[in-house]
Amino acid sequence: MFDFLRKKSFWTILITALLLLVVMELSSSNRQEITILERFVRDSYTPLQKGIDKLQALNDRINLIIAQKKNMEGQIAELKMQNNQLSMENQQLRENKSEVERLRGLLTYKQSQEHQYDLEAARIIARSPNNWYKIITIDKGSENGITGGMPVINPDGLVGRVVSVSTNSAQIWLITDREMAVGAILQETRETRGIVEGMGENGALRMINIPYYSQVKVGEHVVTSGLSETYPPGIHIGSIQEVKKESNGLVLSATVSSAVDFNRLEEVLIIKKYNNE
Amino acid sequence: MRFLLLALLPFLALLLQSTIFRAITIFGAIPDMVLVLVIFYALLNGERKGTVYGVICGLLEDLYIGRFIGINSISKGITAYIVGRLQGNVFKENLFVGVIGVIAGTALNSVLLLILSLTSFEVFNLDISIIIEMIYQGIYNTLIAIPMYVWYYSSSSRGLLREAGER
Repeated sequence: MFDFLRKKSFWTILITALLLLVVMELSSSNRQEITILERFVRDSYTPLQKGIDKLQALNDRINLIIAQKKNMEGQIAELKMQNNQLSMENQQLRENKSEVERLRGLLTYKQSQEHQYDLEAARIIARSPNNWYKIITIDKGSENGITGGMPVINPDGLVGRVVSVSTNSAQIWLITDREMAVGAILQETRETRGIVEGMGENGALRMINIPYYSQVKVGEHVVTSGLSETYPPGIHIGSIQEVKKESNGLVLSATVSSAVDFNRLEEVLIIKKYNNE
Repeated sequence: MRFLLLALLPFLALLLQSTIFRAITIFGAIPDMVLVLVIFYALLNGERKGTVYGVICGLLEDLYIGRFIGINSISKGITAYIVGRLQGNVFKENLFVGVIGVIAGTALNSVLLLILSLTSFEVFNLDISIIIEMIYQGIYNTLIAIPMYVWYYSSSSRGLLREAGER
């Protein structure tokens, strides 16, 4: 009956499985440093992901130009030639303009916040390779002074937190990740302290631990409370969408729609340092 | 050449999953191409080789993500083992075998991931949305499995993925 105990393959499988379970437990907590093996895997992906990101950006541009070209056709027949030429030029300029506007927005935000935060702008080069986690990879790493635990924002609000860093890329957990929790407060009334946690869906957050007597209202803005050491206070997280009583009757919970549009996120700002006053 | 390709395929799949497929989702879900490759390999090579391939591919994914390292190795290893155990009795040249293998394998892998997450995650908000996402992923996996199996099977029997000595 216990013949399988004598099989080499049985022991190989058992030992591998146990080893993996131990590693799984060890790597479940937040680690500041990643192993050489992880660093090697990630660093080998980074240049490829950067390349694909550039190609995708180029493709978007080409698509935009093609799409807009189609719209222009059929307009004023006499001036078609001239018009086409001008519109082509126009399209390219428009594309440049939107880029300039976007970058300018990023820059002015950076300047206005500079007295508070030491910011580093970064581009997203990859997203989570599976559906379980909400993570993004950016093109800046330890070479640019990024370290684990740094909060990540964009001009709209809180994006997430840097979790692990390799030489020239870093991984960020979005606030929508199922494992993320951020201390939060209602911006207008300042009365309620709760925790905003991710639901694993794009843009869907939940605020929990709101006391039952709280006057929380739909549409109110939720900002970081600054109670945790990770996030500076006052960063916009989102707005209250729906409030409901938990089954125990002691606390309320609320769905919060995030301020950041995670589907359209392309650039982020990492807070390298901030004044906690 | 065969080994190089076998190593390159999951690497490439992970690269595509983290970049291009993020722009082509089905209701927010992306396919698990690494899993599809593992299932195909187990279907055509049996449980022993399949399990080893599943563990290695899962480990690559785990090392890239850097979170609960081992969770994908275990789930993909077990999935490959079970798919590999069942492969002896079927006609592998049939496309349906590949497709059904992927449907069953994806379901099995999702359940394993769910169980492993429940046992080890400290804070992990599980709700119905993850089940829905799994279903969408299953649909997506099935869709990409069709062209992939046609190529994979022909490559394994006549092309680059054919084992040396087999005709």
